[in-house]
Amino acid sequence: MQPVTITLNGREVSGHPEMTILELARESGITIPTICNEPHLTSIGSCRLCLVENEQNGALLASCVTPIVPGMVINTESPRVMEHRRMIVKLMLASHPDSCLVCDKGNRCQLHQIASDLGIGLLELQRIPQTAAIEEVNPFIERDMSKCILCAKCVRACQELVVEGALDYFQRGFIARPATLNNSPLENSECTFCGVCVALCPTGSLMEKKRVYQGTTKNLVNTTCPYCGCGCSISLEVKDNYIVAARPGKVDTENEGTLCVKGSYGFDFIHSPDRLKKPLVKVNGAFQETSWEKALEETAEALNLIKEQYGPDSLAVLGAVKCTNEENYLLQKFARTVLGTNNIDNSSRLYNPATRLGLGTSIGFPGTTNCLEALEQSEVIVAIGTDPAASAPRVNYAIKRAVKLRGAKLILIDPRRTKLSSFAHLWLRPKVGTDLVLLNSMSRLIIDESLLDKEFVTRKTDNFDALPGALEKYSLEYAETLTGIKKEEIHSAARLYALADQAAIIYGTGITQHPGGTASVKALFNLALLTGNIWRNGGGIYALQRDNNGQGACDMGALPDFLPGYQSTEDLQAKKKFEEHWGVSLPANPGLTALEIMEQIKAGKIKGLYIVGENPVLSFPRSDFVTEALSSLDFLAVQDLFLTETARLAGVVLPAASFAEKEGTFTNFEGKTGRIRKAVAPAGECLPDWEIILRLANKMERPLPFSTIQQVMEEIEELVPLYEGYLDSEGKYQNEWGFWKRRSHRWHSLKGFPRFSTAEYTPPEKKINEDYPLTLLTEAVLYHFGTGTRSSRAWRLQQFSPRIFIRINEADAKKLGLSPLDKVRIISPVAELTAAVSITGALPEGIASLPASFPEAPATRLFDINLDTETKTPSLKACNVRIERIDDHE
Amino acid sequence: MNDIKTISEDELLARIKEIIVEYSGQKWALIPLVQKIQNEFGYIPPPSIPLIAGSLGFFPSEVQGVISFYAQLYTTPRGRNVVRVCKGTACHVRGGKTILKLVKQHLQIEEDQTTADMEYTLETVACIGVCALAPNIVIGNQVYGNVNPKKLGQLFKRNGG
Ligand code: SF4
Ligand code: SF4
Ligand code: SF4
Ligand code: FES
Ligand code: FES
Repeated sequence: MQPVTITLNGREVSGHPEMTILELARESGITIPTICNEPHLTSIGSCRLCLVENEQNGALLASCVTPIVPGMVINTESPRVMEHRRMIVKLMLASHPDSCLVCDKGNRCQLHQIASDLGIGLLELQRIPQTAAIEEVNPFIERDMSKCILCAKCVRACQELVVEGALDYFQRGFIARPATLNNSPLENSECTFCGVCVALCPTGSLMEKKRVYQGTTKNLVNTTCPYCGCGCSISLEVKDNYIVAARPGKVDTENEGTLCVKGSYGFDFIHSPDRLKKPLVKVNGAFQETSWEKALEETAEALNLIKEQYGPDSLAVLGAVKCTNEENYLLQKFARTVLGTNNIDNSSRLYNPATRLGLGTSIGFPGTTNCLEALEQSEVIVAIGTDPAASAPRVNYAIKRAVKLRGAKLILIDPRRTKLSSFAHLWLRPKVGTDLVLLNSMSRLIIDESLLDKEFVTRKTDNFDALPGALEKYSLEYAETLTGIKKEEIHSAARLYALADQAAIIYGTGITQHPGGTASVKALFNLALLTGNIWRNGGGIYALQRDNNGQGACDMGALPDFLPGYQSTEDLQAKKKFEEHWGVSLPANPGLTALEIMEQIKAGKIKGLYIVGENPVLSFPRSDFVTEALSSLDFLAVQDLFLTETARLAGVVLPAASFAEKEGTFTNFEGKTGRIRKAVAPAGECLPDWEIILRLANKMERPLPFSTIQQVMEEIEELVPLYEGYLDSEGKYQNEWGFWKRRSHRWHSLKGFPRFSTAEYTPPEKKINEDYPLTLLTEAVLYHFGTGTRSSRAWRLQQFSPRIFIRINEADAKKLGLSPLDKVRIISPVAELTAAVSITGALPEGIASLPASFPEAPATRLFDINLDTETKTPSLKACNVRIERIDDHE
Repeated sequence: MNDIKTISEDELLARIKEIIVEYSGQKWALIPLVQKIQNEFGYIPPPSIPLIAGSLGFFPSEVQGVISFYAQLYTTPRGRNVVRVCKGTACHVRGGKTILKLVKQHLQIEEDQTTADMEYTLETVACIGVCALAPNIVIGNQVYGNVNPKKLGQLFKRNGG
């Protein structure tokens, strides 16, 4: 296409034909003030502040919505333009309230900034200030609509970015305002308190509530959210060593200026009074504060002693899905070279191995095959075993944007009604545990009806011949009987998926935490492979990761059977490479997985354990068993931010710095690496995990050869092929290292073509136990995270969602005589918990669901240890329970 | 406008669903759809907003936004007679404000409200184009000029108020 040339402030400049005057001006270094324009929102041209003059005909044009036309002569600062601009701002100011003077938005207010840039002093207009009641019941957002200047950024943010649609204009003219349905307070609307509208609002009409620090902060630190596996980039506002607020990172970052409520309002656990400040040692059963010197000495001695007495394999290490890549790398190196054991695992064991095994064996690449931008381009999206609105909000936004703004069709496979159900084109509700049957029957139908991508299958895949036979029994009729989904619906879903040019599959813990999860992952992969949806630009397979750095912990080899970069501990060549580089001989046998470690502690084989940032007492099944095991150890050291349920059992507790108090990188579920940066000094005497590990190695007289985090990254670059090229030519972190590297690496590591693998459904042993008639599903909730250690200490999250509810179906509630808010005992064969009742139409009869993230009632406790034979993942998704009402007098 | 029907909320929603089905998935049809609902019920019952939104593919807040934008669309039931008091300049200088106050007293309602017996809904307008007769009010389709307190009393009596 021919570039278009125009004259801008007397200078000739050229741009693409579709550019607006504003875009070209920005590109040419000319500033035009704007209010309603935002590059990642549709332009509406409503504020008129961006006026420019067309000198050929004297027309005043809103530059943000006017495309460039060859030969245009534009002046952005003509006297007429300036006069109009000033008048527009004056009019806005004239309707602004007096409280403007003491507004907390302070110097961040765009209206202020623009007024002072334009040199507006006296208003010379009669003021007609708006009035409005300030809305502030919820703990997150304060709305003062008297300061609204109708730029509609909040409306567009809510509709176009996070796609909640909580807001739109209500009424018109002078009284028009952005409002929720029925003008109700935010907490009674669709709002999820993502804070995106607050970050975009140019004035003080939308503000974070109760800013701890009043006034203006100048220091912004760009970093990465520490909660879920989406890895959103976030900016922390810092003042006087205090984090005042968080907002979405720059718009050009992956999350496009979006966050969820945890990213925006969940950071203040950093400043929680509960933070550990000094190392603790247990003396006669009680903790005493001590110095780093003493704490590390005691730890080093204890570990060395156990190693000498019982050998290296009597030691084990657990960690660390919340820590950085560098720290995980150090931790596994510590385990393998300092302790001398492969007994290292991390808590992504609880949800990730099915993916590692299922995808790893098929494509040689253990994880998500494409990026979220590509997901948004997909025509059809299958979401199965996941409620991303709660567990991966950014993915949820991407799915909804694809559906709402690009017309993608969503096939939702979930027995529960979730927030995505209303976006679904097809919503299939299989009986719990029958996903595999459904997926296999879809594959069979695709083959039977010749809907497969034959050319791709013949030329680019292996082992197709094994498939048709293995799928023989998965007829639509068979699938209908087992899954409870109508044949016709399965048929439509299979056709829709197969006929799309680019189709994506997203799955989460609903797949991987079920026994047999690996088989379901393989079945999903078969579907993608049959239809050629693997290497395309759109589509692919998206394996969600729960934790911020579950992906990184595994990439870095904090795993018993893999050295860094998924190089098997049994691959002699890989082993040799590491041995040469590290100058030690490495243990030959693979180590124990997380739950096996617990079992071996119980069996007396493992005597000493070092836990970094994990809380197995709450996150593993059978906390009674885990507690007993941990208490029976000769030595337990726990490194954490808080005195967690697990840390209480330790002999030594080492206080660690939070994500905002150190440097490093996280890798999100897509495989993209995000930088974390130090925003404030560590609380008390806390140290970054990496520094603690290094000091401990020194104390054990086996120092690791690093003194800075960069040096660690350099070694990672050298030894972990997935992370090659992470540093730029000057040895500095590249901020946006790419997942493209990872993708291209996959091509190299793949021996042969991606393989079909058969996935046989094994019905659960029919043990219908009348005593436990309900199926309980564990679920993620938006306002809390993981075991709740951090989110329960973020006061806004805690205040908004203070207690645990079990959700049960109306019919079940009726049978049990339960009303909303009743307290109940939830009893499984191994444990019981109490929770309040919430009655819902979202669940099918016979199914209840309980969030996993409330420390006072950890749902994991209800589960027996029941390991998948292949992956050693404990089943943590569904168990059988009964529910009893607790009468008030009890 | 049809007569106001007295039906239960369930019946109302059931009927509204019937109307909506015809327009399912057709975003362009928002205005005709809400007009159709308003023609049948005299207003657009708020519980129908999420249903309309869900069926056409809008956010409920968007549908509410559109409805509230058009002065001719209502989300509250309307009386059998709409009373419009003119607030235009001519009427204003000739006592329109007092007239409005008196009408409010007569009907015991505020602007944009409807009497309990569903007889009257009170609105204001900005000039109805017969300034010569100011102050003016309109009841139903009938314009009354040169109104004064006495005439007002008769008007509402005549109309059964
Ligand atoms: S509330 Fe803020 S963002 Fe929303 S329209 Fe008003 S000024 Fe703009
Ligand atoms: S906080 Fe998020 S969901 Fe709530 S109104 Fe703002 S943009 Fe919408
Ligand atoms: S979506 Fe995940 S990474 Fe993004 S802000 Fe929310 S919790 Fe943080
Ligand atoms: S920035 Fe162009 S009209 Fe608002
Ligand atoms: S001002 Fe009342 S009719 Fe014109």
